[in-house]
Amino acid sequence: MKNKLTLILLLIFSISLFGCSSQAAPYSPESFYMGTVINQKVYGKNAKKAGDLVIDRMKEIEASMTINTPGGEINPLNDAAGLNPVPVSPSVMFLLNKSKEYGELSQGAFDVTIGPLVKEWGIFTDNPKIPSSDKINELLKLVDYKTLLIDTMNNTAMLPMKGQIVDLGGIAKGYAGNEAIRIYKENEITSGFINLGGNVVVLGTKPDGALWNIGVQNPRDVNGKIIGKLAVKDTAIVSSGDYERFFEKDGVRYHHILDPKTGSPSKSDLIGVTIVVDSTIVTDSSTDGDALSTSVFVLGLDKGRQLVESLKGVNAVFITEDKKVYVTSGLKDKFTFDDESKVYQYVQ
Amino acid sequence: MFNKMKKGDLVVGSIVLLLIIISFAGVKIYNSLGSGNGKIAVIRQNNIIIKTIDLDKLKESQEIKIDGDFHNTILLENGRIRFEDADCPDLVCVKTGWLDKNGQMAVCLPNKVSVKIEGSDEGLDGVAF
Repeated sequence: MKNKLTLILLLIFSISLFGCSSQAAPYSPESFYMGTVINQKVYGKNAKKAGDLVIDRMKEIEASMTINTPGGEINPLNDAAGLNPVPVSPSVMFLLNKSKEYGELSQGAFDVTIGPLVKEWGIFTDNPKIPSSDKINELLKLVDYKTLLIDTMNNTAMLPMKGQIVDLGGIAKGYAGNEAIRIYKENEITSGFINLGGNVVVLGTKPDGALWNIGVQNPRDVNGKIIGKLAVKDTAIVSSGDYERFFEKDGVRYHHILDPKTGSPSKSDLIGVTIVVDSTIVTDSSTDGDALSTSVFVLGLDKGRQLVESLKGVNAVFITEDKKVYVTSGLKDKFTFDDESKVYQYVQ
Repeated sequence: MFNKMKKGDLVVGSIVLLLIIISFAGVKIYNSLGSGNGKIAVIRQNNIIIKTIDLDKLKESQEIKIDGDFHNTILLENGRIRFEDADCPDLVCVKTGWLDKNGQMAVCLPNKVSVKIEGSDEGLDGVAF
């Protein structure tokens, strides 16, 4: 009788374990940095520590790279434009070099010195305005990533012309995504997700081994409405579009992505692009994805697709003004077209 | 001896069977609650949950006022929720409008307030935008 009781207790114990075998909930803190909301889902025993370290790092990146509040490293660089070189940290040095690299790669469609025009348009302020064409042409003379001087020996950078402004807004969030993944890995996290205001970076698979399902926003619908989804692991997904930030005047939509050649919101045939970068092939997947999404959005479908297809481990979903959806060959088995609005046409 | 064992086996067997059924049912019920069958809205400020509410079970409309660097008024109705009013400079939160689907989210960055309907209609882990 005693044996049976032990047996029953043992069975109850084992069954209750079985009943709880579904995955533990992730640590999912929300934070507000870099002008956006940051959501994480971190799994594993160090989840809380890693997630909190990521929040600390986001705060640091914002403080060092912002040009919207005083302090940091970019403000002194801009203040010393036309005057003298200023010392920069390895992170900023890395991003300045990266920005120049993508300036070359995109033939100037991505330009880190676009700052004077961003400021003139007041894009991220509460009072955006349309500058005169004279003003635009005058400021365009200051926009040229090639003029940015980087001295890797002395760890300094310099803008040669007075009035030049470096704006890392097109790449800093991407960098932050890679920093989050680095911190996850350093804390032995094997399953993690971070969404930095629409830039999604995932580490590994979900804890049960399933791929992450990431929606691609419908550029003309309310937030959360998608045109399709991507099933991925170890990937950075970065979108750019005319819908993210814009203002309307006299029926014209002025969005936030300026074409460095015209100094005005880019007028390519794309309304949205989503760059998908395999982190197992491309080390700085999220940083590169961020620079590329702006580049491709400005370049348009044909040139943008050429650029994406020339890069290993990089793919893209393109959404054109005439409501067609295209994907590069590497996404054929990862992308599922799913347009509830029935407005878009998937061109395979 | 043989008979005695058999009887004992039967007792153990039926208890085991019962427990298996209960544990399966428990997991099943838990999963159906967690996978967004309901429209659970979560209001957070600076990562602290202010309110969690099942919008489908809401009988009459409700207003929630949130203080901070700025002020937000959130309106809850049966099945939907929105930022109704705010004194933040950009009013992005108010312009986002109604949220009525699982996975939708509205944010007031200046006041660090987010409103989200949990879960996802499509089984999504996130949306890139």
